Amino acid sequence: MSNVAWKIEVEETSEMSSVNQKTIEMGKDIFAKINRHKPSILNKKFWSATMMEWSMKNPELKVNMFRFVDVLPTLRSSGSVAKHLSEYLSPVTKKMGALFHWATTVHPLSPRALLTSVGARFGVTQMATQFIAGQNAQTAESPLKSLRREKIAFTVDLLGEYCLSEKEAEAYLERYMEALTVLGKRIHHWPESKPIIQGHPGESTPLCISVKLTALYSQCGPLNVEKSVEVLSERLSRIARKAREVNALIYVDAEDSGNNEIIYKTYKNVFGSAEFKDFPYPGIVVQAYSSAASGILDDLLEFSRTRGNPISVRLVKGAYWDHETISCEQNNWPCPLFKNKESSDANYEAMTRKLIDNHKLIFPAFASHNIRSLSHACMYAESKGLAPKDFELQMLFGMADPICFAYRDRGYLIRQYVPLGEMLPGMGYLIRRLLENTSNESFLRHTFFDQDKIEDLLAEPQMRD
Amino acid sequence: MFINEPLTDFTIESNRTKFRDALSKLDSKIQSGIAVKPIINGENIDCATKITSTDPSDPSIVVGTVDHAGAAEADKALKVLNAAAQEWRNVPFKKRAEILKNAARIMRDRKFEINALICREAGKPWAEADGDTAEAIDFCDYYADEMLRLGPPQKMGSVPGEDNIYFYQPRGVGVIISPWNFPFAITCGMAVAALVTGNTVAIKPSDQTAIIAHKLVEILLEAGFPGNTIAFLPGRGSVIGSNMVRSPNVDFICFTGSQEVGLDIIQSASVVHPGQRNVKRVIAEMGGKNAAIIDEDADLDEAIKGVLHSAFGYAGQKCSACSRAIVVGDVYETFVERLCNAASDLLVGPAKEPSTFMPPVIDIASQKRLLGQIEKAQSEIKLAFKGKVPSVGNFVPATIFRDVPVSHWIWSEELFGPVIAVTKARNFDEALDFANNSPYALTGGVFSRSPVNLDKARRDFRVGNLYINRKQTGALVYRQPFGGFKMSGVGSKAGGPDYLIQFMEPRTITENTMRKGFAPKVD
Repeated sequence: MSNVAWKIEVEETSEMSSVNQKTIEMGKDIFAKINRHKPSILNKKFWSATMMEWSMKNPELKVNMFRFVDVLPTLRSSGSVAKHLSEYLSPVTKKMGALFHWATTVHPLSPRALLTSVGARFGVTQMATQFIAGQNAQTAESPLKSLRREKIAFTVDLLGEYCLSEKEAEAYLERYMEALTVLGKRIHHWPESKPIIQGHPGESTPLCISVKLTALYSQCGPLNVEKSVEVLSERLSRIARKAREVNALIYVDAEDSGNNEIIYKTYKNVFGSAEFKDFPYPGIVVQAYSSAASGILDDLLEFSRTRGNPISVRLVKGAYWDHETISCEQNNWPCPLFKNKESSDANYEAMTRKLIDNHKLIFPAFASHNIRSLSHACMYAESKGLAPKDFELQMLFGMADPICFAYRDRGYLIRQYVPLGEMLPGMGYLIRRLLENTSNESFLRHTFFDQDKIEDLLAEPQMRD
Repeated sequence: MFINEPLTDFTIESNRTKFRDALSKLDSKIQSGIAVKPIINGENIDCATKITSTDPSDPSIVVGTVDHAGAAEADKALKVLNAAAQEWRNVPFKKRAEILKNAARIMRDRKFEINALICREAGKPWAEADGDTAEAIDFCDYYADEMLRLGPPQKMGSVPGEDNIYFYQPRGVGVIISPWNFPFAITCGMAVAALVTGNTVAIKPSDQTAIIAHKLVEILLEAGFPGNTIAFLPGRGSVIGSNMVRSPNVDFICFTGSQEVGLDIIQSASVVHPGQRNVKRVIAEMGGKNAAIIDEDADLDEAIKGVLHSAFGYAGQKCSACSRAIVVGDVYETFVERLCNAASDLLVGPAKEPSTFMPPVIDIASQKRLLGQIEKAQSEIKLAFKGKVPSVGNFVPATIFRDVPVSHWIWSEELFGPVIAVTKARNFDEALDFANNSPYALTGGVFSRSPVNLDKARRDFRVGNLYINRKQTGALVYRQPFGGFKMSGVGSKAGGPDYLIQFMEPRTITENTMRKGFAPKVD
C-alpha cells in the first residue's frame, strides 16, 4: 500500500469515528429530551397501551389479540363481536385470572354482548385513530393542519384494500385524484402553510402525497411486467399531472421486493419522460434491509444524472421483513433481505452516507424512528457541510411523537407519513404498526417499554449477515 | 428432510428469458416436425395409425404426430414387461431409488425445455407449466426417499427361538393410464411409484398430451431404468386401454382421470381371466366438485383471490379446482360483485404469453361440451358473469352462476372448466351441509376467522384435502399429500407416506431358530 492511500484511509477512519462520536452525543441529547415520554400508543392513558403491554408480556395473547383486531371491522353485529372476542381471548385469559377470563368470555346473546362490542370497537377505533388521521381528505384536514401548526410537514397516503379488479383500481386512482383536489383547494390558504424551513425543497409546497403503485392495477405481476409498467405509467402520470396542477410533491412507495422491477421501471418511465422531466424532486423509496439496496441506489443516481433534475429518495429500513422472509422460506427461494436486524441498521447507515455524498443528485429523506440511525444521518450530513434545508427526516404519523419533536426542536425538517382511509382497509396497516411496536427487534419497544441502556441503543451497528 | 423443488422465481428477469428461449427452441423443433412412436424394450415401434397433437391456444398448430399402438403392440409390450419383472424385482431397492434420483436431476437440468413443451401441448400458462415440472421432480425425489424408508425388511414382534420379518415385494406389471391436465407430473408420479417399488410399467398417456409423456419416458430411460421395464403405449383408450386392463398379464392399474372411465376400469379389472395371477389392484384418482365456504367474517380480499385462482387457474381443468362457492350471510352480495369484477379483468389468452392467467381448454371437444353446458345452465339458473374470449383457440369464457339451488345439476356434476356456481347459506352449519352435499370428496376451501367455525370445518368438512384461508389448488408433494374419497377415488394420497405401499404386497417370514433346544440369542 502506498503512503498516500494509507494516509487517506486513516483520515477516513478518524472522520468516521468522529461522526460516530457525535452521533452518540446527539443521541444522548435526544434521549434526554424525550425523557422516555412514551408515544401515545404506549401511553398509559390509552386503552391500547394496556393491550400493548399485555401482548409484549404474553406472545400467545398477542397473536390472538391481533387476530381479533384484524377481524373486528368486518363483524356486523354485537353478537358476532362477542362471539369472536370469546373465541380468541377466552382460551388465553383462562390462565390470566378470573377477572380477565370473565371479561373476555361473553355469550353472543347475553346482555353484555352489546356492551362488549361497543367497548371493543371503541378501543380499536381509538387505537386506529392514533395511526390513521382520517377517513378521507375532508376529515383529515384538521389533523393535518395541527401537524403543520406543530411545524411538522406531512405526506398523505391512502390506505386501500387489495386491488382485485380494474374497477377497484380505478376507484383507488379516483381517491388519489380527489384527495389532491380537496387538499389542493384548501391547504394553500392555511396560515400554517408557509415554509417551516426557508429554501427547503420539500417545503416548496405544503402538499405531498405518497402513492402505492400496485394498487393502481389489478393484474400486476412478475409475468406481466411490460403491461404493468405501461398501465401504471399511464395512471401515475395522471396523478402527477394532477399533482402539478395543485402544486403537490409525490413519493412512490416501496412494496415487497417482488414488485421492485415494476415499481422502479414505472417511476423512471414517468419521471424521466419529456412531460415530467422537470417535476420537482419526484420521490422514490429505497429499502435498506435488502442486499439489493446499494445497486438500486446506484441505478437511481444514474437516473438522476440522465434526467438532469434532482430526484428525492426516502431511505427506509423496510416494512415487509416478516412477510418476505416467510414467503421465501415457503418457496425455498434465497431471501434478498438481511437476516439480522443489525445488518439492516448497518446497511442503513452505509446508504445514508452514500445519499449524503450525492445529495445534489438525490435529495435525501431519512425515514426511521431509530434515534441512532437518525442521529447518524444528521451528524454525517453536518460533517459534510449540509444544512438542515439539504435533507429531511421522516416518521410515521402517531408512532413516535416525542422523538419527532426532539429532532424538530434541533432545527430539522420532519415529515410525517399520514395514512387516510376506512377502518377495514386500515387494519392491515394498523396491525403492521402494532407489530412494529411490540416486536422483539423494535427500537421503540426497546426504548419505551424495555427501557434498554442508552449506550446499547446508540452503539454503532455492524453488518452481521 | 425432504425439500420441495422450488418453483421458478419469475421476478428474476433471466428466468423469464430462459422460458422465452425454450419456447422459441421448441418452435423450431415443431417446424422441423416432432414425431413420437410407441416404445417397447427401449425401441421405437412404427405403427400405421397416426394422430396429430395440436396446440390448444391455436389448434391450427400441430405440435407433433403420434403413432398409435394397437392391441398387438400392447400384447407384445406386456410380454416383455412380464419377463423383465422377474429381474427388476431383484434389483436392490437402493439401486432403483438411485435411478429415480437421477431422473429428478435430469428433469431439473431440462426444466425449461419441459416447461415449454407443457405450455404448448397442454396449453398451460408459464407458472402452471413450471409447477407441473416441479411436481414431477418432487415425486421422483420423494418416492426415492420413501423407497429407502420402506425397503429394508422390518423385524416384527420376536420371542426367543423365533424370528419374524416383514417386508414388501412388488406386485408385478402395472398399467399407468394418465390424464392430460398434469401431463408430466401425474404421469411421472404414477409411473415412478410403480417402478421404484420394483414393478414394470406400461404407460398409456392421454392422446392430447402424448408428446409430453414421451419426453418423460425418454428421461426415465436416460436416467437408467432398463428398457424392458417401461413400455410407452400411446393409443386409443377404448382399444388399447381396455385391452390392457383386461389382460391376464397385468397385476395392477393406476389411473387418474374421469369418474366414468375410472369406474369402468374398476369393473373390468374385477373380472378374472384365464391365466391371471393376481386379483388386480386398481388405484384410481377421479374427479371432484369442490366447494369453498366463505364465512361472514372472512377476509374478502383473500377469499376472492383464493376462489379466483382455484376456479379459473388453468381454466378450471384441475380435479382440485373450486367449482362451488358457498357464502354465509350478509357478505353474499359484496362477494359476488367483487368476484365478478375480478373475473372480468383476468387476462385471457394463449398459454405462451407470459401474462396469460386463463388459457384455453384442452381441445375442441371440451370446448363444445362446456359451451353447451353453460348455455343449458344459463336457461335454467341465474348467470352472474360470463367473460370475453379470443376468437382463435379453444377458449371457454370464465362463467359465474349465482343463487344456485343445491338441487341443480350444476351443483353436483363435474364440468372440468372455468365455471363456478355460487350460493348463499344462512349460517356456517348450513354452508357445511351444502359443501358436503356432493358425490365427491376431493378438496375444500374455507375462509373464516372464527376459531370455532374453523374447528367445525376441520371436523365436518369431509374432503381429502381441506384448505383453510388459502386457495384450494396447488398441493405440494409431502406438504399436502393429495387425494380424495367418496366418488373422487380409491387409493391413498399421492405425494404422501402411504402411496408407495399400494404398489407392493407385504410378506411375513417366520423362522423357528431353535434346533435341538438351542437357539441363538435375540438382541
